[in-house]
Amino acid sequence: MKNKEFLKKSVLWAGLAAAVVSAVGLFYPPQSLAQVPARFYWKNLSGGNGVLTIFESISGNTNPFDPSHMVTAGAEFDATLALLGYAHNFSLFDRSATAAVIMPMGRASGEVTVAGSSAKQSASGFGDPMLEFVVNLLGPPAQKNIPDAMRYEPGFSVDFLADLYLPIGEYNNDQPLNISQNRWYGRIGMPIVWQLGPWVPGRRTTLEFLPVMWVFGDNDDYVGQTLESDLLFQLDAHLTRDLTERLWGSLDAAVYNGGAATINDGVPGEELNNFAMGVTLGYGINENLNLTFSYKSTLNDDAPDDMKMDVFMVTLVFGWHPLMEGFRKLESSN
Amino acid sequence: MKQFDDRKKTAREAERQHLPPLTVGTLAGSDRLRRWLTAAIVAAAVVSPGLMSAAESPRRPNIVIILGDDLGYADMGSFGSEIKTPNLDSLAKDGVRFTNFYTNATCSPTRSVLLSGVDTHVNGLGNMDEWTAPNQLNVPGYEGYLNKQVATLPELLKDAGYHTYMVGKWHLGKAPDLIPAARGFERDFSLLDGAGSYWDMNNFTAASPLSVFTEDGRYLTKLPDNYYATKTYTDKMIEFIDANHGDGKPFFAYVSHQAPHDPFHLPREWRTRHVGEYDIGWDAVRQTRLKRQIELGIMPPGTQLAERMWFVPDPIVLAPAARAILGKKMELYAGMVENLDFHVGRLIDHLKEIGEYDNTIFIVFGDNGAEGTDLFKMVAGSPGSRDYLFSAIKWSQTHPNAWGDPGSYVGYGPMWAQVSMTPFSQYKGWTAEGGIRNALIVSGPTVKRPKESINCGLMHVADIMPTLLDIAGASYPQERNGKTLLPLIGKSWMPMLDGQVDSPRTDRDYLAWENFGNRAVRQGEWKIRWEHKPLGKGAWELFNLTNDPAERHDLAAQQPDKLQEMIKLWENYVQANNVIIPSRSMFETLEDQLPPRVPDDPGYPPLIKKKQFVPPQDMIAAPKS
Repeated sequence: MKNKEFLKKSVLWAGLAAAVVSAVGLFYPPQSLAQVPARFYWKNLSGGNGVLTIFESISGNTNPFDPSHMVTAGAEFDATLALLGYAHNFSLFDRSATAAVIMPMGRASGEVTVAGSSAKQSASGFGDPMLEFVVNLLGPPAQKNIPDAMRYEPGFSVDFLADLYLPIGEYNNDQPLNISQNRWYGRIGMPIVWQLGPWVPGRRTTLEFLPVMWVFGDNDDYVGQTLESDLLFQLDAHLTRDLTERLWGSLDAAVYNGGAATINDGVPGEELNNFAMGVTLGYGINENLNLTFSYKSTLNDDAPDDMKMDVFMVTLVFGWHPLMEGFRKLESSN
Repeated sequence: MKQFDDRKKTAREAERQHLPPLTVGTLAGSDRLRRWLTAAIVAAAVVSPGLMSAAESPRRPNIVIILGDDLGYADMGSFGSEIKTPNLDSLAKDGVRFTNFYTNATCSPTRSVLLSGVDTHVNGLGNMDEWTAPNQLNVPGYEGYLNKQVATLPELLKDAGYHTYMVGKWHLGKAPDLIPAARGFERDFSLLDGAGSYWDMNNFTAASPLSVFTEDGRYLTKLPDNYYATKTYTDKMIEFIDANHGDGKPFFAYVSHQAPHDPFHLPREWRTRHVGEYDIGWDAVRQTRLKRQIELGIMPPGTQLAERMWFVPDPIVLAPAARAILGKKMELYAGMVENLDFHVGRLIDHLKEIGEYDNTIFIVFGDNGAEGTDLFKMVAGSPGSRDYLFSAIKWSQTHPNAWGDPGSYVGYGPMWAQVSMTPFSQYKGWTAEGGIRNALIVSGPTVKRPKESINCGLMHVADIMPTLLDIAGASYPQERNGKTLLPLIGKSWMPMLDGQVDSPRTDRDYLAWENFGNRAVRQGEWKIRWEHKPLGKGAWELFNLTNDPAERHDLAAQQPDKLQEMIKLWENYVQANNVIIPSRSMFETLEDQLPPRVPDDPGYPPLIKKKQFVPPQDMIAAPKS
């Protein structure tokens, strides 16, 4: 008498579900924020979802919650920042697209000097929520099914990215240090992922760029004054490499240019012209969960009005897709 | 020995003077007569240039054997495949395709017959070296290598004045006296193992972790730079040919490709030529291939496909993801075949460039049926075993995106093997037609049959030895090196290639096989086969191959007399060749590993094709409360 369980397992097809899950790979985090580690722009199966949490510990002479990075000479800020978000991948005209919403929160404190007066300040609460839309322009078509996902290789991919921050966070017009920025702002960019070599877990190498242009509305109640910011150009670059199938690392760089701030139509402040370097380690805990650790610090920051900033960042992203969850359930029941 | 040396010299002299060569091993009297005639013709030529012109005969042709490893019957475009093989097809266009050509069911036995012309059970490959059964140990004919009782084709062609070159897989012995250089090849670049990595020297087991290569009789410590088997073999063969080109001697080139044997190792740019094409599943591809075979005339109208193996699902029940994963294996295989074809094309182009193509005979075939057995599962062992650990270190590139890279091991399984063997049943290792029938192309100056024609004559790999000796103007000696040689079992194709007959065999001639205990006999349109369960019945089956090439209808119960008649032929074969049925076999536990055999009834169960019921629009209603 043959053992039916044995037979079932011996049949050729029994391992297919596992193979498929393995082939499709990990669900990488959905999309980005102003500060995200490398590999945030890799594409996933349409219909996938992600919840992300980002924890940052930042110190420097700019408000960590303000992406215009307005330098306050002589200031020392420290902030603990958390961002919670949700993202959904979908197919738009056969291109991969993502919509996301992200909510920043946290606390910041420091000594600030504005118009000759110094004060210790602190702020905490919810920041300005961000809406994000990303669509791929150049590269592989949307992954509308698992075979598409299996065959995904970024090659040379270019996306269009648009972020909009809603000025509804906590704001105190008595002090310059705030969680919310009290103005509309956002950015447009073109995330680029350039695959170098094979697309095999454990051996993947990419060169990634994120050129963006930040656009800021006016804050007409900046300690009772009007704050304007010029366009800020930012370029993030990452050279990433798998160290094992689940562990990867990247060398990170960022360039900031522009973004001069003007208060009350006065003389514009200094333009940012800064350069930061960093490293990231990423680990895929399982098919759903990804973890990264990053550190980044500005380099050319000796002058008092140079931007000084260093950031420790931990991201934890939980991704799921109903189809893949079903696969896993079936697999575990076998 | 001196007699042979003299013959060699005379053959070379004749070659230089464009004269017919002396045959090897002819009787002394006729030898003297040929020498006298040669001398007379040479003398007359000196005296009269006009007479020389009349006496001129074409230079003996070069010979190129292109052997595909596990290449399926239906894998070339000229045999119905969607795989693009323009170079192999060009040989078919210039020559003849043969649809009833047989090899053995596995590789080293076929190779042993090709190079010796005598049956496997006496030439040393009564069983594959890797599977010699306890009751076959130390029995002459079952040594596991091409034994010294046989003369080899390259030895005899060399004696007849040919250069003899080999590249690729040997699989007929590794000891110094058994390697290609010791068996008649002047130049060689050879993989002595039966398989291995295409990229490096990695082999499959902890006990034998490295493939063994030789070059010109020396064992290699490393491989050439930028080694990729199919490419390097071709480079080497071109180098060998060029090295002696112009000395007036013809060459025999044995291009024994490793491709497309698994693992499907393949340069990256060859992996993506068929992305998604095989997601339609094996049934659809088989049907398309059979349709094309019938259009081409490879198979007669009305030919049925063999049953899908009962343990292979109808692709309709598989999810797109599963079909994509399994289809990707076939994509890689197709790439392997196309890459093989590309390098065959390089060799063809080179021969054209140096002006040798028109005087070269090409013989192209696969060594056995396509591979449907999961070799890696067999060799990788179970968790905890030494081979499993070895595989974890050397063969663990399992991600589909790594398939084709060094360290990956991909085969394509029984479902695609059956596609490769369309329309036949089963695959390598088995004596159904899918295990032993192969596509054959012969082209070149000695082929007088219409170009691009198709022939259905009953042919066998053992025929190649006598055919090539005929072409070389040599004959098979009764003895060599003081040993009486075993008689050849094949039949020369020359009358058939000349167009005098349609088959080298009469209806009374028969062919017989035994591999791993699986057996078969073919005589005329009839065939019996005995195979291990569950692919076989563990009993003799009888088929009429003219009406039923896919072996769907066992006639053993209906035609017991015919069955007995055929069994007698089998018994004759056993007697004549000392066939020892192995007491152990690689298939001995297969019945316990596969699901119970059930018939393949198309469309059963109907459940799998039921679609969502859609009620008439005018009868649709919402619940009343």
